[in-house]
Amino acid sequence: MVENLSLFQLVVFLFASGALLGLFSRNSRFTRILTFIPTMIGSFFTVIFSVSVILEKPFQLMVPNLLPFINFEIKVDGIAAFFLLLISIVSFAVSLYSIGYSKEYEAKKRTSVFGFLFNSFILSMILVVASNNSFFFLIFWELMSLTSFFLVIYDHDKEENVKSGLTYLVMTHFGTAFIFASFLLGYIQTGSFSFDAFRNSSSSFPLLTKNLIFLFAFIGFGTKAGIVPLHIWLPQAHPSAPSNVSALMSAVMIKIGIYGIVRTVFDLSGFGLSPEYSWWGLLMIAIGSVSAIIGVLYAVIEHDIKRALAFSSIENIGIILVGFGLSVVFASFNLTTLSALALIASMYHTMNHSVFKGLLFMGAGSVVYATHTRNMEHLGGLIKKMPWTALLFLIGTISIVGLPPFNGFISEWLTMQALLSSYQIPSIILQISIAFASLPFALTIGVAAATFVKLFGISFLSRPRSDTIAKIKEVPRSMIAGMSILAAACVLLGVLPFLGISVITSAFHILSQPINPFDTIILQNSFGKSFANLSMPVVVIMLLSVAIAIFGFIKVIGGKTKKTTFSTWDCGFGNLNERMEYTGTSLSQPIRVVFKTLFRSHTQIQREFFGDHKYILRTLKVESFTKNIFEEKLYLPIMSSSIFIFDKIRKIQTGKINAYLLYIMITIVLLLLFVRLSHNV
Amino acid sequence: MAEILVGIIQGLVIILLSPLITGIMRKTKARTQKRMGARLLQPYYDILKLIKKDEVISDQSSWIFRICPWVNFVALAAAAFFIPLFLTYSPFGLAGDLLLVIGLFALARFFTMLASLDVASSFGGLGSSREMMYSALLEPALFLTIFIVALTYGGTNLSTLVTEVSSATLLPHPQLIFAAIAMFVLVLGETGRLPFDNPSTHLELTMVHEAMILEYSGKSLALIEWSQAIKLLILLVLVVNIFVPWGISSSITIPALGIGFVSLFAKISILAIFIAYFESSIAKWRLFRIPDLVAVAIASSMIGIILYYIK
Repeated sequence: MVENLSLFQLVVFLFASGALLGLFSRNSRFTRILTFIPTMIGSFFTVIFSVSVILEKPFQLMVPNLLPFINFEIKVDGIAAFFLLLISIVSFAVSLYSIGYSKEYEAKKRTSVFGFLFNSFILSMILVVASNNSFFFLIFWELMSLTSFFLVIYDHDKEENVKSGLTYLVMTHFGTAFIFASFLLGYIQTGSFSFDAFRNSSSSFPLLTKNLIFLFAFIGFGTKAGIVPLHIWLPQAHPSAPSNVSALMSAVMIKIGIYGIVRTVFDLSGFGLSPEYSWWGLLMIAIGSVSAIIGVLYAVIEHDIKRALAFSSIENIGIILVGFGLSVVFASFNLTTLSALALIASMYHTMNHSVFKGLLFMGAGSVVYATHTRNMEHLGGLIKKMPWTALLFLIGTISIVGLPPFNGFISEWLTMQALLSSYQIPSIILQISIAFASLPFALTIGVAAATFVKLFGISFLSRPRSDTIAKIKEVPRSMIAGMSILAAACVLLGVLPFLGISVITSAFHILSQPINPFDTIILQNSFGKSFANLSMPVVVIMLLSVAIAIFGFIKVIGGKTKKTTFSTWDCGFGNLNERMEYTGTSLSQPIRVVFKTLFRSHTQIQREFFGDHKYILRTLKVESFTKNIFEEKLYLPIMSSSIFIFDKIRKIQTGKINAYLLYIMITIVLLLLFVRLSHNV
Repeated sequence: MAEILVGIIQGLVIILLSPLITGIMRKTKARTQKRMGARLLQPYYDILKLIKKDEVISDQSSWIFRICPWVNFVALAAAAFFIPLFLTYSPFGLAGDLLLVIGLFALARFFTMLASLDVASSFGGLGSSREMMYSALLEPALFLTIFIVALTYGGTNLSTLVTEVSSATLLPHPQLIFAAIAMFVLVLGETGRLPFDNPSTHLELTMVHEAMILEYSGKSLALIEWSQAIKLLILLVLVVNIFVPWGISSSITIPALGIGFVSLFAKISILAIFIAYFESSIAKWRLFRIPDLVAVAIASSMIGIILYYIK
């Protein structure tokens, strides 16, 4: 206990010193070391701290009456520790990466300010997860939102970045308002700000209050997580932020939204739900599958690498929510084993998404670092110039697409099994609707593969599409090292799934003792037979032995053959060049056509002919547009109507002193009347 | 021990028999078009010939292009070991299920799509772009079909599945008819048969899979051709063993295994000949009509799911 206390204090101290050391050292040669090394050490200790909490017992700290009537409470239980673990692993890798990456900004910006914001951002995320009091939770939540806002607009010379920062700021406060409302409802019921009080008396809350608390918390935290239709800030803020920040935001910060939802459901119910609450789960499944499919469909047509990754984050949040929603539905029908399965699936995907999305954003950052463009139509052929980045990015890509034997496959497999297990729910309507929810889920997985083929294929493979690529070099070692950590985690979590599963089972108290990482996942059907099995170590051994066997076979039978290098087949015309390759836009064109109702894409072709010749073109201009229907149909009307209303309100703001004096007098008269009248009663 | 041996034999049989099935299909197609066609064993000769040939590799390509045939073969050949062939179970079924097999298919396809972009020709991109659409659309149909089958027989574990199928009564469950319709479309789509794709064309208007592997030659081409044959056979075996399991052996005795093998071979050949006939009788569909066909598969499997639940 003492050990954990001092660890926690050490962590806070390290992040704080990282933040301040950066500010005090203006000498930029040391700033990088001084800001990011304490972050790394701090993250490392956070890993130790959270693992010890998961394995042993919850950590609690209380400073009574830090503010009048409000206690400062810290409590790290298994759930919080699980999320702390994600934060710390990713922030360790990202801060190692940042040592090299921040060179990008050194000439242009004050890196010391960046270091301050970066450290405070990570620290505030840790404290949000650790706080056990709604008042301080909101303070740290706001700190997290504001530091990340400043980080998003760090590159504020570009106007679009400021604009996206503003969208982010508005949306995040929209979410905070709902979280605030949900906490207030809890406060009205218990008269306390402490989460412990919420937890202890939640069973006596009226049904309506519970439902409202859940709904508000879902909207509030969901905004942070980026659920559709509240996702609007995400594809704007992630690309604008420096890539190490986008890695943190996408890999970790949006998971805090998930943490909030998980925490609310657990606190309100202790998972002893009854069938009245199954709509919570259904809501999450519905919103989750919509988010997944909308996110991935916008990702596949995107040609900005970081925007595509941001949309893919929305997709993955959707998959996580489908899993968690299933878990709630199962729990509400008292199917504890299945509920645990779905919970493991969604938390495994949360962990996986942190790992591979952190990796992919860092990879995208490396591309931007080397080429100074995010537009994949100007990239190509990077695999020859940046072999390490390409390899690590490919690992992230295979993982996020959910291909065996990498980690994404495990969580998607588990989620699919949870979907298949819905046949045990004793309600036909639910059974059929969940079965149909697996349609968008499976479509998402299919389109995700297409998205990442495009992302990797267009940016890293084939011929360079612009001249700048010829001059680029591989990124610094520290950046590669940062990415390698997460890539290793991708492989490890894929090959040995029980490493991850036993962390989750101990964190969420599903099982008491850790499981042997070489075990087989076995699910049973209702007749006690094996429903599904999966043993990744065996699969990997099988793949390796088939590989060795076929390699030997080909070498023995085929004997020695030559490999000649020659130019690509060009139908005999000669001189293939980079303008004849497929572009990213044309690669995703079939999908854009199939889902044209969503994209509202239209193409404009302008032709100019030579005089009267109807067949000889002088110029040809083709433009293709897609619309973002959420921005156009949902947000623009809201914005224009509120501008309209504020325009009307502005009429009373004349700016003349006598008018304001009149307002004040009217107010005083009304107040006096009110006091007088209420006194009589 | 005997089990593992039989399991390995089952996998090897799929790997070794697959070119023959491709040969049968090609022969059938040739005969329906009033040609003599090549010998049944021609795919074997092709593979053996290609293995001994030198390769030409594009100067634009990277290691992705070189590794792709190996990944293809390893993923699909490993998938073959999970499939119960003439015995109702496979000992490797303990390590992976139907979803893993689908995952391995996806792995092979993913690398093929990347490799086709790697050589910087416009053909590669063309094939890859069409394959992206097909695979994205086929995925939900596939999962919903698996949904029906897994629920009807209680598992995605292939051993459980096929054992239950073989012991089920002859009267089929109504939902399985719809699953079979969807599965037939899926087999055509997954293996690139007409009307999705014509495996025997190199016309840029129509080719999908051939466009992606256009740059391959020698050993690499042999590996890709072979792994495609394995994929086709795996899917045919799945159809046969899930929908028409008659004759499959449930114990390891020589006569039972013999009957199992002969009946399986007969059923697979009939199915292969039927698909080849079907292919000969229709034309390739326009690219953007394909979603309609996939929609039929999806709708059919959705009806199947409803039927399963409301029985």
